[in-house]
Amino acid sequence: MKRKTAIILRYVILVLGAIIMLMPFLWMLSTSLKTQPETVKIPPIWIPKHLMFSNYVNALKEAPFLRYFINSVFVTTVTTAGQLLTSILAAFAFSRLNFYGKNILFVIFLGTMMVPGEMLIIPNFVTLSQLHLVNTYGALIIPWLASFFTVFTLRQTFQSVPDQIYYAAKIDGASDWHYLWHVLVPISKSTITAVTVLQVIGSWNAFMWPLIVTNTENLRTLPVGLQAFTSDAGTNYALLMAASTFVIIPMVILYVFLQKYIIAGISKTGLKG
Amino acid sequence: MEVTFKDVSLSYDGSREILHRLNFTIPEGTLVSILGPSGCGKSTTLMMISGLLAPTSGHIFFGDEDVTKQDALQRKVGMVFQNYALYPHLKVLDNIMFPLKMAKVPKAERREKAIKLAKLVHVDDQLDKKPGSLSGGQQQRVAIARALAKEPSLLLLDEPLSNLDARLRIEMRQEIRRIQQETGVTTIFVTHDQDEALHISDHIMVLNSGKIQQFSSAETLYDNPSNLFIAQFIGEPVINTIDIEDFDDELTDHVDAEILKRAKKVGIRPEALQDHDTGADTLATITTKVKTFEKFGREKNALLDFHGKRLLTTEIEAELAEGQELPLYLQKSGFYLFDQEGTRIFGGDQDVE
Ligand SMILES: Nc1ncnc2c1ncn2[C@@H]1O[C@H](COP(=O)(O)OP(=O)(O)OP(=O)(O)O)[C@@H](O)[C@H]1O
Ligand SMILES: [Mg+2]
Repeated sequence: MKRKTAIILRYVILVLGAIIMLMPFLWMLSTSLKTQPETVKIPPIWIPKHLMFSNYVNALKEAPFLRYFINSVFVTTVTTAGQLLTSILAAFAFSRLNFYGKNILFVIFLGTMMVPGEMLIIPNFVTLSQLHLVNTYGALIIPWLASFFTVFTLRQTFQSVPDQIYYAAKIDGASDWHYLWHVLVPISKSTITAVTVLQVIGSWNAFMWPLIVTNTENLRTLPVGLQAFTSDAGTNYALLMAASTFVIIPMVILYVFLQKYIIAGISKTGLKG
Repeated sequence: MEVTFKDVSLSYDGSREILHRLNFTIPEGTLVSILGPSGCGKSTTLMMISGLLAPTSGHIFFGDEDVTKQDALQRKVGMVFQNYALYPHLKVLDNIMFPLKMAKVPKAERREKAIKLAKLVHVDDQLDKKPGSLSGGQQQRVAIARALAKEPSLLLLDEPLSNLDARLRIEMRQEIRRIQQETGVTTIFVTHDQDEALHISDHIMVLNSGKIQQFSSAETLYDNPSNLFIAQFIGEPVINTIDIEDFDDELTDHVDAEILKRAKKVGIRPEALQDHDTGADTLATITTKVKTFEKFGREKNALLDFHGKRLLTTEIEAELAEGQELPLYLQKSGFYLFDQEGTRIFGGDQDVE
């Protein structure tokens, strides 16, 4: 009997947590279907009188969202792929190879993780402008091609693979390169998926950096594009929420499909989402 | 391939030496066991032969070629690891095919060969499983198949049968012996099970605390142990070991006085204590008291008291009563004397190293 109560209690808490997490999303969906006056009505209403599906059509007409979408996909893909490649190689070097200064280098890199991202905005911007990369795809991509957080996470996973597996691969005729791609990477699949998803979400949602380094419409990404609904005259919440729904849909789909790996990867490496 | 070690020493951390100046030659086409207690350096020796570990000093030869500087990739040996080290993300079939894939063998051929090897080690019904869902014994057999896949000229096996049940173990060791004899592959087989070593190998290298104690055939190990460690390590039941002081003057007229003076320990195999006079084979006689007497079927064991020390014999013919006095005849074969350092100075064949 006591066990049953405990189970019920656990589910009640989980459901409450889920509701709290879902609230903003439901509010977004609800607002996206309201008329303009309804969005600012007090007390707030959850279910609009008429479901204004036309908001979605109007939102897309407001700005070149297709272009923003292509930009977002391109930048996210290249950033994530590039970052994975550099991180996998670096993590392999830190976990398996012996080279002069390895530990010192590792500690220095670890130190960079303590520096808040906001502090890097100005130095990064200055560097890019001296390289004449401001307002190019390069500005959106290059600074994110390396991430020590990803290197660190992968190194921890690589290090948990027993030495014997490495030796066996050597005996079987695999060079370090083959071992990395045929053995180590497939074994570490769940961690790699987890860091990939985190990076995709991070890239997809990035707002501050694209806003700072680009100033032409052609280079805008989705989150920056959402600004179109905010003007000096105020914000059109209904259209903004309709457009936001479009923006998050790919991430929701990604999460639904990769949920298993993300949870496994995160719980195994102990990294926080 | 013939394998030779010349003054090979190894230390993992640069301070504590694990293996001390090993010198040996393993002849081409033979099966040699490395036998020794846990932690004596068996796996370490194998790692150096495979090229996964470089010796701290000394040289390793394959045939006439000095391979000391070559790594595992260049040496091309086959190896079964103590903990199997199968690739957890690959199915059994892909595990066996992996070395062939690395050697760029065409896919169809790879598959065919892997299936043949899987049949050989009786895992052909597990091909689609991942190693994680196999039993220890099945994993071990997959590891053997994988090691054989690239037809190495040198096969290294690190306790490859330790996780099998008794029956499968005997079957697999005969199988390994058969494969070895059929292919003529030089095989080095690590084990801590003397029975396994005695049955499978042409020669046995006994290792203890980083030194080769003796490297010879199974019979020589048993009949002519070069030191006390070997005498105690080989043989079941274990040899009786007592101090030379425990004898009064039973040995005086039978062993050279000079040797008796140097002797420190006495080793007597349980079957070298006979309850009847065997004439010329008898070295000396002693008087003992029966402590316990056991009979299982045809086997008769007696635990005896000799000047306060315990002796075990397996050679009793009559029924014995506990507490009775019993004269015993020490046989020449199976009676050894060892000096201060443990070296054999009497008994066995003195010419044999
Ligand atoms: N990577 C290592 N670093 C440091 N010391 C090691 C390492 N591997 C083994 N040793 C030490 O070397 C000695 C020999 O180890 P080894 O694994 O060769 O023993 P073994 O004879 O194979 O034992 P077992 O029968 O238990 O497998 C042991 O004292 C062990 O502690
Ligand atoms: Mg070992």
